Amino acid sequence: MTIAVRAEREGDRGRLVPVGPFDLAHAPAVATAVAHIPPDLEGCRSIDVDLTHLDRIDGAGAVLLARFLDRLDPDGDRARVVEERNAEAARLITRYRQKRAESPPARTRARSALTKIGAVAADLPARVIDTLDFTGGCVAALPKTVASPRSVDWRSLPRLVQQIGADALPVTSAANLLVGVIIGFLGVSQLGRFGAVVYVPELVVVAHFRELGPLVTAIVVAGRSGAGLASEIATMKVSEEIDALRSMGFDPMRWLVVPRCVALVLVVPLLTWVGDALALLGGLVATVAITDLTPRAYVLATMDAITANHFVGGLIKSPFLALAIGLIACGQGLATQGGAAAVGARTTTAVVLAIFGVIVINALFTLLYVVMGV
Amino acid sequence: MPPSRPHIIVEDLRIGWGTRVLMEHVTFDIERGTTFAILGGSGSGKSTLLRYLIGLEQPMAGRIDIDGVGEPHRYEGVPPFGVLFQSGALFSSMTLAENLALPLTMWTPIRGATVRDLVQAKLELVGLGPFAEHLPGEISGGMKKRAGIARAMMLEPALLFFDEPSAGLDPISAVELDELIVTLSRDLGITIVIVTHELPSIFLVANSCIVLDKTAKGIVARGDPRALRDKSEVPFVHNFFTRSSPEASVNQGR
Repeated sequence: MTIAVRAEREGDRGRLVPVGPFDLAHAPAVATAVAHIPPDLEGCRSIDVDLTHLDRIDGAGAVLLARFLDRLDPDGDRARVVEERNAEAARLITRYRQKRAESPPARTRARSALTKIGAVAADLPARVIDTLDFTGGCVAALPKTVASPRSVDWRSLPRLVQQIGADALPVTSAANLLVGVIIGFLGVSQLGRFGAVVYVPELVVVAHFRELGPLVTAIVVAGRSGAGLASEIATMKVSEEIDALRSMGFDPMRWLVVPRCVALVLVVPLLTWVGDALALLGGLVATVAITDLTPRAYVLATMDAITANHFVGGLIKSPFLALAIGLIACGQGLATQGGAAAVGARTTTAVVLAIFGVIVINALFTLLYVVMGV
Repeated sequence: MPPSRPHIIVEDLRIGWGTRVLMEHVTFDIERGTTFAILGGSGSGKSTLLRYLIGLEQPMAGRIDIDGVGEPHRYEGVPPFGVLFQSGALFSSMTLAENLALPLTMWTPIRGATVRDLVQAKLELVGLGPFAEHLPGEISGGMKKRAGIARAMMLEPALLFFDEPSAGLDPISAVELDELIVTLSRDLGITIVIVTHELPSIFLVANSCIVLDKTAKGIVARGDPRALRDKSEVPFVHNFFTRSSPEASVNQGR
């Protein structure tokens, strides 16, 4: 099927005749047909557009033809669509030409890589201030919470404990059990070279109770509950629920952040404690499976290795790690602006920051213990 | 010359969930190039009926035929209609231009400058020419709806569905949107089906309508909305068009 724009000239009068179907289905061919202004028409004083030979026209065809006429006749005083021969098509083309003339130029958003880097750098101080602002808000919320316990949504606490604690128990337990197995295997393979397999139970206790137990549990909770809390609050923010809370005189910091942080602080040490017990089991299974050490000997060696320092030194870190997860997740949720995409972006940031945060805090505690000689 | 076939034929439709019937014996035709309103109070099933017309749900019984090509829930390929959802339903991570370009790049081989031209023309048609590179979060509710209309028109459909287009808009934005709907129907010859309970919109845009009532589980009146307002003897329809409660009409009757 031929699609073309024929150009004819008589003296200083030109005539344009679009031929064929000018519709969405044939838009690529139409775009090619109207890509160049016919040289015959240059210098014409008037150009008649004859629509008699148009098979079909829809909005897409009309737009392409209107743009062609815009280029051919930027001032709009030379080209004339002959209405008598196809009034409907003429009206459609005129509509798109008129709209073009009325609209101011669009602004552009295209930004170079350098501009983007600059924008991120320029945004950095504001981000730091926002973080400090949020931290300050949390600290300020504490005395207010004590003074006015009713300003906190305590009714949500059992649900949060269930979601963050009981529901997470299988996954944190499995992670800790497997870490215990890994330490067991590693201990046997390394200490076994020196005939020191008998020290594997102590290695499991020290490594897991003091360092890996709280860290592994916190990372799993950060990934699981951190994402859940951040996306929940972010969704509340974009659907104006946070604004509604504020409009009713509630402080979102106290109403939402405090119960979530309290739930985390209560639950994460418990999950860590259960994880510690399962890691011992994992170490036992691994060691007994590949060495001559009996289960009884392993348990006795473990009992000897467990000291208050190791046990408490590990568990004391857990509330701080939990608090970091809660504050980061809630802070990111409350900072959400925009729509559904912003919820996803904030959730991702919350998980990344929470995991990084618990690793940094754990490292700081380890340093502190070393300095204190614990 | 024989009369043209109706654009949409709905025959003895029964809709609902599980064993619960929400509406039954729903039968109506929509003529080509007209603006048809689906009216009713809150909870009468207007938006639900729309979901069946655009093929998001499968009816329990009955038939919906759009343009003689079959049932909407069985369509595969280029949709033969555009839909404006209540919130505009623009994708928040994309600019308006990207939102509008999406159906074109999905369903047509058109690319590059031609896509930009078509997108810009549609944005200008709805008065959003300068906002092509804005994100939906950066524009007002009325502008989102106009952008939604532009996106619904990208594949040049002969049929547009509007779900509560004036809901949540100020009176001026609502009138502007109504005028846009009238223009689309008049200048582009598009058949428009509009779900609403805004009386000013109904009288401004609709050529014909059906009125749904949840207690009757179906259609209680059909025809020209002005004629129904002036002549209907069905109490619900009379109350609906005169904005009065049943108690008020009882009191008036005394």
